[in-house]
Amino acid sequence: MVRDMTEDLFETVVAAHHAEIHRYLVRATSRPGDADDLSQETFVRAYKAYRSLPPDANVRAWLFAIATNLCRNHYRAEGRRRQAMAAAAAGASERGPFWPEGEAIASQASARIDLIVAALPFKQRLAFTLRKVHELDYEAIAASLQCSGESARAHVFQALRKIRRGLDDLDVVHTERQP
Amino acid sequence: MNPENATCRDIEPDLVAVAAGEAGASAARGVERHVAVCRDCRAELARYRVLEGMVADLRRATVAGADPTLARAELESRLADIRSRMVAYGIFSSPLGKLLIARSELGVSMIRYIDSERSARSYLARLAGDEAVEDKAAVEGTYRDLLDYLSARSTRLSWPLDLRWAGSDFQRRVLAATAELPYGAITSYSGIARRIGAPASVRAVAQALRHNPIPIAIPCHRVIGSSGDLTGYAGSKIGLKEQLLSLEGVPVGLRAHRIERGNMYVRFESETEYCVPTCGSLSEMPMAELTLFGSRRHAEAVGLTPCSSCRPDLHPLSA
Repeated sequence: MVRDMTEDLFETVVAAHHAEIHRYLVRATSRPGDADDLSQETFVRAYKAYRSLPPDANVRAWLFAIATNLCRNHYRAEGRRRQAMAAAAAGASERGPFWPEGEAIASQASARIDLIVAALPFKQRLAFTLRKVHELDYEAIAASLQCSGESARAHVFQALRKIRRGLDDLDVVHTERQP
Repeated sequence: MNPENATCRDIEPDLVAVAAGEAGASAARGVERHVAVCRDCRAELARYRVLEGMVADLRRATVAGADPTLARAELESRLADIRSRMVAYGIFSSPLGKLLIARSELGVSMIRYIDSERSARSYLARLAGDEAVEDKAAVEGTYRDLLDYLSARSTRLSWPLDLRWAGSDFQRRVLAATAELPYGAITSYSGIARRIGAPASVRAVAQALRHNPIPIAIPCHRVIGSSGDLTGYAGSKIGLKEQLLSLEGVPVGLRAHRIERGNMYVRFESETEYCVPTCGSLSEMPMAELTLFGSRRHAEAVGLTPCSSCRPDLHPLSA
């Protein structure tokens, strides 16, 4: 019957992964409101497909792939979002070089990186977040982004190089930003 | 790093890889050799290492405005809502042909004889929309019960039923009254109409049973015309009605599509005894007031005792 196990198991899936997927989506979309919607949508879709998921599937990687896919559609639908983000980033008060010196507060550094990441091109932003924040392997990232493992890795490295430059000067990221 | 220097430009990806701890052995050696002689790239490597440290902090850092609590609560209520509307279905073969079996959180919600799987799926999609999912495993148990029933290994289908797809309250009342008919017992459409307190609504009862969403479990095959004609079943599948009745020991004339009252034991209204059909004036009574049984066993299975005047136990009907 429908309630058979599926329900209880899925409760566990929500409990185990919702917060992380939500955090990923906040970074991926740069908007907590969108992350609220997309995280719900991710789990609603997952719920409907859960019963046909092979028992040995990596549920976490699968959820990230669903979330990323929703993000992609969302991103396409919201072409203007990036311009808004870029404008917000450009107007940010932290200008010039930023490297944590000695006692720099980690949260400041994080905020600065988040700002740079938000301005990265879509695939680099997601590849970076999946790899460096959520520590997925390149194979899972490739599956999420629908590319090869090699290009998933290249996206992460591109992102790191841009972040590294962005820490010298935030403007670099924006001038290098793809149209 | 010196952007004028080709070696420095080429080695940058490897610097990133080394800092990230992902460089292969040969790339790592190349970086080692290069930074030994290039001060700029040495500094660059150091910065990438600092960056890796900052990135590691990201994992622990909270993201501004990223409280998932509200989203989680909304998600839970959306899931509960979907769950309540969701039906799992499977298509199975049975002695009665292909069957679609669907069930929801509340119980079995549909059994349908199907001619083509595509039409069955589209029918279900019309009823349940996106919330219908094919999941044979989820209805496998129901199917097994049904197979036991159809091969006479059991005489009860004690499933909870989900009647949300019944069209109206009237139809629900008809279905509920029909569900009360015991195994091996027969009544007429007028009999059901009487039982639900709407004796004039015989046609409406027939209509309601025509659209029975859960045949077999709601035994509309036990309801026949007042004249003894089987009338219809599931469109033009009257043969299935005969099959189901024969299974229950009801003598059905082969291809006659009718039941002879003279071959059936009789219960008058809610008497506690059952009789032979010729007892007293029973043969004159309208079908609406009677329940017929194909065998004494099934009459006694519902607690009826043999009539003390006609003594069906001493003078059983010949088989």
